[in-house]
Amino acid sequence: MRKSIALLTRGVIIGILAIFAAAAIYPVLFMLLSSFKTSVQYTNDPLSLPPGFSYIQNFVAMYNDFNLPGLLLNTVTYIALAAFVSLAVSIPASYALAKLRFPLRNLFFLFIIASMVIPAITFIIPDYVLMSNLNLVDTLWSVVLLWAATSVPGSVFLLTSLMRGLPDEILEATRVDGANYLQLMLRIIIPISTPGIITITIFNVTAWWNDLLIPLVFLQSDANKTLTVAVATIVGRFNTDYPLLLTGLLMASLPPILIYVFLQRYIRRGLVIGAIK
Amino acid sequence: MNALKETEQVGVRTASVKVVTSRTSRMTLRRKEILTAFLSLLPAFFLIAALMWYPLATAVYHSFTQWDGLNTTWIGLRNYIDIFTSGQLWLLLRNNFIFLLSIPGILIISLIVSVLLFEEVPGWKFFRSVYYLPTILSAVVVGFLMQALFSSEGAVNEALKAIGLGALAQPWINAAPTAFLVLILAFYWQTLGQGVLIFLSGLSAISTELIEAARIDGASWWQRLFRVIFPLLAPAISYFMVTNIIYIFIGLFALVYSITRGGPGYETTPIDYMIYIKAFEAGDLGYASALSVILLILVSAVCWLQVKALDTMAAD
Repeated sequence: MRKSIALLTRGVIIGILAIFAAAAIYPVLFMLLSSFKTSVQYTNDPLSLPPGFSYIQNFVAMYNDFNLPGLLLNTVTYIALAAFVSLAVSIPASYALAKLRFPLRNLFFLFIIASMVIPAITFIIPDYVLMSNLNLVDTLWSVVLLWAATSVPGSVFLLTSLMRGLPDEILEATRVDGANYLQLMLRIIIPISTPGIITITIFNVTAWWNDLLIPLVFLQSDANKTLTVAVATIVGRFNTDYPLLLTGLLMASLPPILIYVFLQRYIRRGLVIGAIK
Repeated sequence: MNALKETEQVGVRTASVKVVTSRTSRMTLRRKEILTAFLSLLPAFFLIAALMWYPLATAVYHSFTQWDGLNTTWIGLRNYIDIFTSGQLWLLLRNNFIFLLSIPGILIISLIVSVLLFEEVPGWKFFRSVYYLPTILSAVVVGFLMQALFSSEGAVNEALKAIGLGALAQPWINAAPTAFLVLILAFYWQTLGQGVLIFLSGLSAISTELIEAARIDGASWWQRLFRVIFPLLAPAISYFMVTNIIYIFIGLFALVYSITRGGPGYETTPIDYMIYIKAFEAGDLGYASALSVILLILVSAVCWLQVKALDTMAAD
């Protein structure tokens, strides 16, 4: 009797979970199935399965109009540069705030941390004027610099709290050995902080990949856009032809889905670190 | 004897010399440490100051002006008076408030799903991956996808007709109440994965012995849930609330841009989207700056309240 009740409870739990899973996955399936339909098939019945998976005209049209490889290359280049700049300034700053004694240390820390709450939309207007005076609008540097700057407060916050745990003896020993600053960074600070660096990089890269506002404001010609902005602007132009639109969305979603499938465990661990602390 | 004294004196002398040199070297070391610290901080400090604080200060100044990017005319408080008296601010605040009210809903859904997943029924790992799938898609993709599903000839209306509820079929995005529904659904759909991720890791941090002990004491499943599990999840719950409340004020841009464009009229326009419209579509940079100052004050107030709340919680 008790066993059958337990079995029933498990069945109910699986049922509830399955309903939510269906709700979570249906739109994705809808996107996938619709991309194999012609416009007429879609209009007649958006719910049905496509008659087959041999109709790839949407993918061909999107590939020609949408230049996925070029946009992907743009996005990856901007993200890589922004990640490099962000880490190159955040790691030394975090080291100083965590391990060195100097006047006004807490004030500097507070200044950087307080920057976390400033919404991007509040400084993007003057930044646009600034970038256009420097002739950097519609170049990758406007986006790279703004992405890097806005990521610094969060990165410094996380890395500083992790570096405080570095044992002073190791730093002292390295200093006595006569290592210079660069050697200290490359041999001790960066290797020991690697988990934190990976976490914050995953976090930043996800945010940049999803960011619409900054690249939308600063990048104007189609050839310079990021994938997210291209989806918002170029793909949006097809919103009378839903199968074509959905094919564009699907193609733009494939890279992050593939990355997630391969790096699932690291991404999940990385995104959660702030929650349990 | 003399020899001994002499060596002693020499010893004293070398000792005092040592003290002096170590003191000076400690001074230079100290100075070197300070210099190293400032040089290490400089690039980060410069980047933040140049691209965040200086522009912020300019925005505050320009909120008292009429500004088109080149020419500036001081007009005092006129922008603020316009914002407060035109009634627009209350519309924008109402829109943000509606989104704010939707947060407890996704909190409860995420909690339920997480607690059920934590029972580790067969296939729970598969379910966990499925829930996270929408979270990987960018907000723009989610937005257009929802727009396609809820368009007049879209899947939702066709499904309603198919099950005989054709009377409910409607142009969802063209009227304010249903447009909000679609926006909130998109927000829920994208946030469930994040919630499950946070709460599952919170749950796995709770020691199984504690739950076991409650079970042995005769606590029912519900008692364990409300007396043991939820209180211990408090930090994870507050983290989820904080990130999403801030998201409501500064992160809705992409969803609104791709689903309703703030329409019909300004009925679904939150503050951050209005700043974008005013600045980059209407070109009224002064007005947009004044709105962004108001947004900054709001967000700072919310953060301050959160910190306060966390402090009192930690004190308990």
